[in-house]
Amino acid sequence: MTDRRGRGVDVGDLPGARRLVLVGVGVLFWGWLLARWLHDWVLAPDVNTSDREPFVPPARLEAVAEQLHDLAAGAGAAAGLLEWLAGGVEFAAFGVDSMPALAAGAWITVYLTVLSILLGLMIAIPLAVARTYGGPVLRWIALSYTELIRGTPLLAQLFVLYFGLPTTRYIREFHGVGEGFVPYAAIWVAVIGFTINSSAYQAEYIRSALQSVDPGQLVAARSVGLSRLEGIRYVVLPQGLRYAIPGWTNELVYLVKYSSLAAFITVPELFRAARNIGSDTFRVLDIYLVAALFYLALVLTLSVAMSRFEAAVAIPGVGSASERD
Amino acid sequence: MARLLEFDDVHQAFGDENVLRGISFGMDRTDVEVVIGPSGSGKSTLLRCVNRLTEFDAGDIRLNGESVTAMDVDALRRRVGMVFQGFNLFAHRTGRGNVTLGLTEVRDIPSGEARRIADENLARVGLSGQADSYPAELSGGQKQRVGIARALAMEPELLLFDEPTSALDPELIGEVLEVMRDLAEEGMTMLVVSHEMGFARSVADTVTFLDDGIVAERGPPEQLFEHPERDRTREFLGELDT
Amino acid sequence: MDILPLQAGDWAFVGTNWWILMQGLYVTVLLTVGSLLLGFLAGFPGGAIEVYGRGPLRSVVRGVGVLLRGTPIVVLIVLFFFGVQWPDIGAVPLGGLLPLPAFEINGQALLASTAALGLRSAAYQSQVFRGAIRSIDEGQLEAARSVGLSKLEAVRHVVVPQALRRSIPGFQNEFTIVLKDTSIAFAVGLAELLTRGFELFTQPAGQTAVVEIILTVSAIYFVLTFLTNRTLDRVENRFAIPTGE
Repeated sequence: MTDRRGRGVDVGDLPGARRLVLVGVGVLFWGWLLARWLHDWVLAPDVNTSDREPFVPPARLEAVAEQLHDLAAGAGAAAGLLEWLAGGVEFAAFGVDSMPALAAGAWITVYLTVLSILLGLMIAIPLAVARTYGGPVLRWIALSYTELIRGTPLLAQLFVLYFGLPTTRYIREFHGVGEGFVPYAAIWVAVIGFTINSSAYQAEYIRSALQSVDPGQLVAARSVGLSRLEGIRYVVLPQGLRYAIPGWTNELVYLVKYSSLAAFITVPELFRAARNIGSDTFRVLDIYLVAALFYLALVLTLSVAMSRFEAAVAIPGVGSASERD
Repeated sequence: MARLLEFDDVHQAFGDENVLRGISFGMDRTDVEVVIGPSGSGKSTLLRCVNRLTEFDAGDIRLNGESVTAMDVDALRRRVGMVFQGFNLFAHRTGRGNVTLGLTEVRDIPSGEARRIADENLARVGLSGQADSYPAELSGGQKQRVGIARALAMEPELLLFDEPTSALDPELIGEVLEVMRDLAEEGMTMLVVSHEMGFARSVADTVTFLDDGIVAERGPPEQLFEHPERDRTREFLGELDT
Repeated sequence: MDILPLQAGDWAFVGTNWWILMQGLYVTVLLTVGSLLLGFLAGFPGGAIEVYGRGPLRSVVRGVGVLLRGTPIVVLIVLFFFGVQWPDIGAVPLGGLLPLPAFEINGQALLASTAALGLRSAAYQSQVFRGAIRSIDEGQLEAARSVGLSKLEAVRHVVVPQALRRSIPGFQNEFTIVLKDTSIAFAVGLAELLTRGFELFTQPAGQTAVVEIILTVSAIYFVLTFLTNRTLDRVENRFAIPTGE
């Protein structure tokens, strides 16, 4: 099922051998990330982000780089290669040094994504049902909402919420915002923005999935005595939502990547964490390369995990998992 | 003089499966040869080896005495036309456009002349009125006749038919067979894979029964249909009657 | 607590500064068109290589595609801005046509943004083409080959014309994504529509007109996507292959 109105954000399929390598790297990456989070909150919760120590001391890598430089000085023909190698190790040392700060940013990226997609789903299902089965008025409202959201840039939507409307002021009045585990106001603005944005796209995925469920199914449901709403709830949705999984994977990947825009409304997620390191160390290019690798690790492991999930919930003849090669 | 087409101990395997296990026979100009046999007997593969849509493993196929493997593959295909089971019409071109593509691109005929030739060949298959229709606007029988016109326009020395009526609804088969019958009468050399026994009986000069990758029996239709020599042939024809 | 401070004076502020937004729109359109063009020129061969290519070339095209699709566009834009030695073309003069006053933009930011958006778009467009090419049944290619066309000729005359038609919905999607994502060139200060809007509402006189400005900016994006989608719908119908229904 190709959705012509989708965001087209899937990363594409990878050949088998590379997939295996990817799974290995993924396990390593997530193992480290979880250990990092656990360490920073449970074992050493009072250390400032900027004072946290990397698991692998970068000094050791820097020493290796130093040795390589020395070797290169007396190596003659191979000097170029050794210098290049030394550069690589220096880059790795810098990357390792910035890991604690990036892990803290990645935590915000992850929960921005997860919260927004789940809250967005809760809005998207009624929207999609309204557009597919609603009367003229309901259909029109749902259509206007999705088209307006999908027709304007996400960054503009975040600006409206953050700079334009007094959203932050309202949020701050809630008790406990910004204390303990409850994130502060700008993050909530981002969650609201992403939720609204995502709900419109998810609604489209779900709508086209609902349309691919045979209409005879609803007729059959009515004929055993279910009401229209019950028929939708118990027969159409369970099938339609399975058809929607590929679209939903796209949306999840999309949100991971576009949560980076929250940086522009001061949310210290992964991209902003990288930007801050860049302005502190002046190694702008290096830190953005590290950030790119970080995002790639998140995105690629996620899309592999989602295709596993799709296969796991597949019912023979329903959904598209079995049709893939 | 060399025969028009000669199969010489042709072998072909896909993986472990031996599809053709030593095929040898020949045909001359204006011959109509119908190949019959159960599905999986290698009929289509044999046909596709002639214009090298499938490359065979061993043996030789000669066109006018020249090995097809030694020829430039595009030049070979220009001389050997093919009609497909699934029509394979170019979906974005009209009936006429399907015919002209090979004329303008392969035979380098100017487009005005190509149109004239195309219309002539479409008339030959009874489709003068459908030249401007797109494939999706045509019936199955009409599609297949466009497919025949497309192959004819290249003025091939030999025309291959790969189960040309198998994908058609029963009521549309007749119009296609009618066109093929006319071609045979005009002296076109045809190698036909088909399940249409009536057609084979009345039009073929020779019928070849292919079974399990070998020529099980071969002869004039009246002999093969009325007095088959082999039990396997009798069995196959018997199954068809029921 | 006052809700939605939409005041007449604030709309008037947008009105008197409309030309600033128009200059931004000019850059947005330029960036969109440039990126889509680059995306097409690199994406079309990319898609063809993914289907017909062999060996290392295909692996490289696939790998680069995955990297471009898996990285956030904002990261790509800053990487291209800081990581590539762009020729110093200085400030690019634009506009000057009545009624749009002349203005200048940062040439390197324009190049970097176009490269990032364009190459990322190429990675997506290649997937659109790949799918379109694969959706055309093998039989047509075989038929073309059996009238004597070479493989390249067959692809050119049979596969490409049909694949392009089938790609139109994908293009449509890609167009709206690129148009909306040009706003992310904000990250390198390129003076496109959203950046100009941001500049307007962060100057002292514009601070009460934030909502009005962003809504105007959003409306412009919306009208652009809407109009282009309708136009592409028409293009699709115009070039549709008749089905006889």
